[in-house]
Amino acid sequence: MKNPYEVLGLREGASEEEIKRAYKRLVRKYHPDQYVNNPLADLAEEKLKEINEAYNILMNKRNRNNEDNNNWNYYRYESDSYNEFNKVRRLIDMGRLKEAYDILENSTNRGAEWYFLKGVILLKKGWYEQGYQHVRRAVNLDPNNVEYRNVLNNISFRNETYRDVGRNMGYGGDTSLCEICQCLICTDCCCECMGGDFITCC
Amino acid sequence: MDKLFGYVTPYKDELKVREYNTFKAYYCGLCKTLGSEFNQVVRFGLNYDFTFLGLLLSSLDEERDKIKFEGCIANPFKKKPIIVKNKNLSYSAYISVILVYYKLLDDWKDERNLLSLMGMIPFIFPKNKAKNVFEDKYLAVVNNLDKLAKLEKEKCDIIDESADVFGKLMEEIAASPFISDDRTIRVLRWLGYNLGRFIYVLDAFNDIEKDVKEGNYNPILLQYKYNLEEGLESFINRVREPIEFTLTFTLDNLAKSYELLDIKYNRSIIENIVYMGTRQKMMQILKKRSCKK
Repeated sequence: MKNPYEVLGLREGASEEEIKRAYKRLVRKYHPDQYVNNPLADLAEEKLKEINEAYNILMNKRNRNNEDNNNWNYYRYESDSYNEFNKVRRLIDMGRLKEAYDILENSTNRGAEWYFLKGVILLKKGWYEQGYQHVRRAVNLDPNNVEYRNVLNNISFRNETYRDVGRNMGYGGDTSLCEICQCLICTDCCCECMGGDFITCC
Repeated sequence: MDKLFGYVTPYKDELKVREYNTFKAYYCGLCKTLGSEFNQVVRFGLNYDFTFLGLLLSSLDEERDKIKFEGCIANPFKKKPIIVKNKNLSYSAYISVILVYYKLLDDWKDERNLLSLMGMIPFIFPKNKAKNVFEDKYLAVVNNLDKLAKLEKEKCDIIDESADVFGKLMEEIAASPFISDDRTIRVLRWLGYNLGRFIYVLDAFNDIEKDVKEGNYNPILLQYKYNLEEGLESFINRVREPIEFTLTFTLDNLAKSYELLDIKYNRSIIENIVYMGTRQKMMQILKKRSCKK
């Protein structure tokens, strides 16, 4: 068993406040939402388990059950009769992408679910552009399906997360100083129009 | 293929001086390693992407790298910190020699550029040495480059498909022969795949103008169906957004792999490259044209 402080990236004897903060940050980082359709999702899950254990030990809450992350599964299985797409889903879950792909290629039933499952396979093997297009197609064909929409939204959400991490580290490469000034001056003008003032000297 | 790298660099604005010096020490260390393993000329093939590889793999080792102070040809009197040659830097040096050799060979085949032919000469022996030392990796590189050449000939119009081959090439390279832990190798493979994909797609975007002029293969031109009437400017404006989207997602996957590695040293420098340096490079290249005109 690893040292729980080390797992949370803290020095020995960190305060409760620090432990909580580190725990929150790490859970956000390794949350299953961040690893949807990523072939390393199982490793992230292990990591999260380790973090949860470390946190529970440090907070003396060993018996607390962490129901948040263990039974997380975004697939919606249809329990009714046999369906070739359910088989595809099982193969995808087992990481047998090639077999899943072959079944889809031979399938004649090319509706929303077909596009969705093919999109998932493509995303998992790193073909992000094609994968995104396929999932988007699935959403267009069946706009009410929450599952398809979630996977589609997850991609944009993850791009946003990536940018956020950089921004918090100090990345400012996208906006030039000039744009910031423009923005400030605009804000000032707006405020003045509304009767307030943002930059008092002008 | 026209991959001359240099896309994986730190974001200098947010680097501490200490971190900057460490990064440079790895850069110089790789350069010195190229000189001592092969010859002085191959040192010109030095680039940042392989510095990143050497730095990343070294930072997974239990043992901390040693630093020495030395001058070099570029600046013989000023002593600079340099990472002492280790197995990871050697590995990066060997792999970079193979790739530079094939890059020059490719230029010669495509453009009959005499300079590339001349440039190949000092790389012939190093390339053969690399083949003997890391045969698996050598074969994987050659095999994937062949596949890429074939896709180019067939005018493959799916960016993902072409990028996949270069991704697989980098995946093989990232799976260091010195690491035996399966879990780490799995993570490194996915990291390498996304790194290769990033380099390939960004490079293709960077070359749009040149490839139109010279009639070269470029999957972006084919997939997004460039035609003369549309004009280059509006084509680039049309593809910028989807390319940025797919590249950002690639970087996110790269970062997610990085987060699963057990990095022992240099964490802040590597994080800087993963979350900011690559992104800055991407934005520079994507926005380059809209600023110029």
